[in-house]
Amino acid sequence: MAAFDPAKKTAGLPPMKRFLSHLSAEGLVVLAIVFWWLLSLELPEIIVPRPLKVAEQIWILFSDLKYIGHVAASTIRVILGVFIAVVFGTLLALLPHWFPLLDVIVHERIKPFLNSFPSVGWAILAIIWFGPSHGTIVFIMVMILTPFCLVNVSEGLKEIDLELLEMARSFTRRPVVVLFKVTLPLLMPYIISAVRIAYGVGWKIALVAELFGSESGLGFLLQQAQSVADSTTVFATCLAIVVIFWVGEKIVINPLSRNFSLEKIGA
Amino acid sequence: MTSSTLDPAGRKARLAGHLFVLAFLAIWILYSSLVESYVMPGPWLVFARLGLMFTDVHEIGHMFYSFAHIIASVAISFVIGTALAFLAHYLGTFERMVHGRLSPFLNSFSGIGWTFLAIIWFGISDVTVIFVISMVLIPFAIINMREALANLDQERIEMSVSFTRSGWRRFRLVILPSLYPFMFATIRISFGVAWKVALTAELFGGNTGLGYMLNLARQDFDMPLVIAVIVIIIAFVYSTDRWIFMPIQAHLARHHGSV
Repeated sequence: MAAFDPAKKTAGLPPMKRFLSHLSAEGLVVLAIVFWWLLSLELPEIIVPRPLKVAEQIWILFSDLKYIGHVAASTIRVILGVFIAVVFGTLLALLPHWFPLLDVIVHERIKPFLNSFPSVGWAILAIIWFGPSHGTIVFIMVMILTPFCLVNVSEGLKEIDLELLEMARSFTRRPVVVLFKVTLPLLMPYIISAVRIAYGVGWKIALVAELFGSESGLGFLLQQAQSVADSTTVFATCLAIVVIFWVGEKIVINPLSRNFSLEKIGA
Repeated sequence: MTSSTLDPAGRKARLAGHLFVLAFLAIWILYSSLVESYVMPGPWLVFARLGLMFTDVHEIGHMFYSFAHIIASVAISFVIGTALAFLAHYLGTFERMVHGRLSPFLNSFSGIGWTFLAIIWFGISDVTVIFVISMVLIPFAIINMREALANLDQERIEMSVSFTRSGWRRFRLVILPSLYPFMFATIRISFGVAWKVALTAELFGGNTGLGYMLNLARQDFDMPLVIAVIVIIIAFVYSTDRWIFMPIQAHLARHHGSV
């Protein structure tokens, strides 16, 4: 997904147009909040809570020790799930690259199977098989995220320069050296894009997984708030996830993808 | 993939693929014979349950409900997403608003969040399910249609300006046909995502559909039904993609250039 780059987009615009562009963008945000506030005055709190109360609740989520635990639990699971899925997906993609015999197994059996398996299905099965635990949630996430990584890294393997690999093989006969010195560095942009997608999907999946089988995490909070009709917390949790997701993307994913962009790699 | 059926290496890989499926079934049978059926039912139980699903009018009804939820949401999100992408493309003032604010927000808002909010707003109903799926699909539609508009061949449009001064004619005869492959890709992606979201949305916020059935089955520990529903989804998603979407996309690619 191409990220919106405001600096590049509006640099060439005349000042008036640039002003209008900002006005419509920030205006939308302000308008949405004003509209929300007006609605909250009219409708009962259980349907639309006040924006200020929700903001307060979001602050509590990030400052109260009890809630920080839930936020941290979800974050750690997402990081762990994404990491394992990327490693697992990359290995699966490399298998048919090394052993062509496995091509059909990976690309026409495992990939479509994992790709069309519903995420709730994994959640229900894993809870019944392993019972609720941290491992179960990470398992659910890995199963759902792996096909995304597999698709991305296979795409990369199709694109990388076969002659470079051939040259590498003429320098060394140790496949491990070729893998770490040539293949993986060439694949890096695709692996990073897999990380980006897995991270985005991962946050959504973590919630589903936690709803079924967990006593911690933001999904658990959401479930609890919903069962006592505490819509302030439901709103706050949803928005908190948007915030965490955005921060993670800005401070981890974007720098990573800048460091390993196609131009930097020289491919 | 068709060429791989000819050469010996490809044929071997194909054979390995079939053996893999057999091994998978064998492990399933073996494992299910070792554990209780509420942990892992054997293939026979699941297929028997599948057969039952297709004879029960009530359960066929649930399948149609899921299908209707998905068709409705794909249509709604496609129209809204396309309209927003057009707005951003043709009125530059709104570009930042749509691609810089709205789309990232919708993209990072979780489906479960929408589900719980929708339950508060609309109760447990079909409206909730369609609302949730649509909200999740809209960012996909915006991003895809943005890509489509960015890829429009400017020279072709310039040429069309020299043929007619009617903007509508240009739009209908030149711009719209160049967008067909992307529109189709958007619908294809939406459809794939919609199935997965539909199940979650119906499970928590619906009283009809396969997700609702899945929830009942889960509460009763009716594992054959849980797996039967999963098998139906996998079969449906895979076969529609393989035998409906892929041929149409190939056809469009021949006529309008590939995506």
